Amino acid sequence: MGALKGSISARRYQVLGELPPDFTPIYIDKLNDNAFRDALSAAHKEERLGWAQVHNLLDTDFSDSNLWLYQQYAVFSLRVDKKVLPATLFRATLEKRQQTWCKANNREKVPFSAKAELRETLELEMLAQTLPRVSIAEVVWNTREGWLLFHSHAEAQNDRFRKLFHRTFGFILRPFAPLDFVSDMPEVAARLMASGGTDLRPAHLGDDHV
Amino acid sequence: MFEPGSGDGNEGVPGGADDETPPHIASDFYLWLWYSSEVGRGQIDVADESPFTWWVDDRLSFRSAGEDKVNAVLTGENPSTTPEARAALAGGKVLRDVRLALRRDDREYAVTLRGSNVAVAGAKIPAQLKTGDTTEIVLERMFLYEELHWMIGMMFRKFGEARASAEWSPFADRMRTWAAGGPA
Repeated sequence: MGALKGSISARRYQVLGELPPDFTPIYIDKLNDNAFRDALSAAHKEERLGWAQVHNLLDTDFSDSNLWLYQQYAVFSLRVDKKVLPATLFRATLEKRQQTWCKANNREKVPFSAKAELRETLELEMLAQTLPRVSIAEVVWNTREGWLLFHSHAEAQNDRFRKLFHRTFGFILRPFAPLDFVSDMPEVAARLMASGGTDLRPAHLGDDHV
Repeated sequence: MFEPGSGDGNEGVPGGADDETPPHIASDFYLWLWYSSEVGRGQIDVADESPFTWWVDDRLSFRSAGEDKVNAVLTGENPSTTPEARAALAGGKVLRDVRLALRRDDREYAVTLRGSNVAVAGAKIPAQLKTGDTTEIVLERMFLYEELHWMIGMMFRKFGEARASAEWSPFADRMRTWAAGGPA
């Protein structure tokens, strides 16, 4: 939400580096190379991430630049999928299977190797039946002015985004900081950094705190 | 010089997670925004540009000095005018987030400025286009976002000049009197 409708909650970054001239065909390839891909196996449990179109997270072909480049703004999404098994159901089912194994093999305890095999089999079975948890966060990149908005404040999501952005386009992203507003006023910036927080407690007239 | 494709994008990033702005700067900025709008006009006049006004909208959240987590939130209509809000300041709390309303010409915005990096959250922009040509929608929304970003920047610059000047100490004394329930 935010790029095309709704309220905006976004972290702003400066894109460090210059775009190649006539970047559109180059970036079509780069976006396609790093687009979201479904796992080959339904039992895949590792996190998967990649770019998707902003219009629909199932659209991951960037060949038509009319669907992601709007004048100077490149607009696309980061999609992250992760399958998470229901832990309590998994534990309970595993316990039942261990009891069944003990009965079938006339043993009191399941040996370590058999336990690991039961666990692995169950994990694969349940992963195949589980839908991934899908998260999506939009990107709006002003390619002319070298800044972008990433529509998420979650730290982990921002880390993933910066890494994939760098892998895709080769640019480092520098988070915007409030002192950037006074970057042309170095004396003010230095004094702000050196100041302490203003303490309004009556007993602390003139004092600062952090 | 940066070479595209080197590293994983996280190392040596200036302004990254390890290089955050000290939290007291944002807290003082929010305090200045609040006090200026309560006792002054909450207006910035810019040469050759339309002026804009701001006021605290419907939410203030506080933290204890030296901590990051929110430990008091005031919401509802005009929370900034309540005795509780000023008492929080007089009790040594500082602002962590502030929700502002802004107006420039006939355009009204609302935004929560959050945390030490003055992050933009829940920003409502007066976009007119909801459906139709995507290019038009993106351009309108980004124009409005940029105007909001510009206004936040102008307020921060004004605050920065005030905070860095010798006038801040008497200004802080006036705020202290006001926080204690006295006149501004």
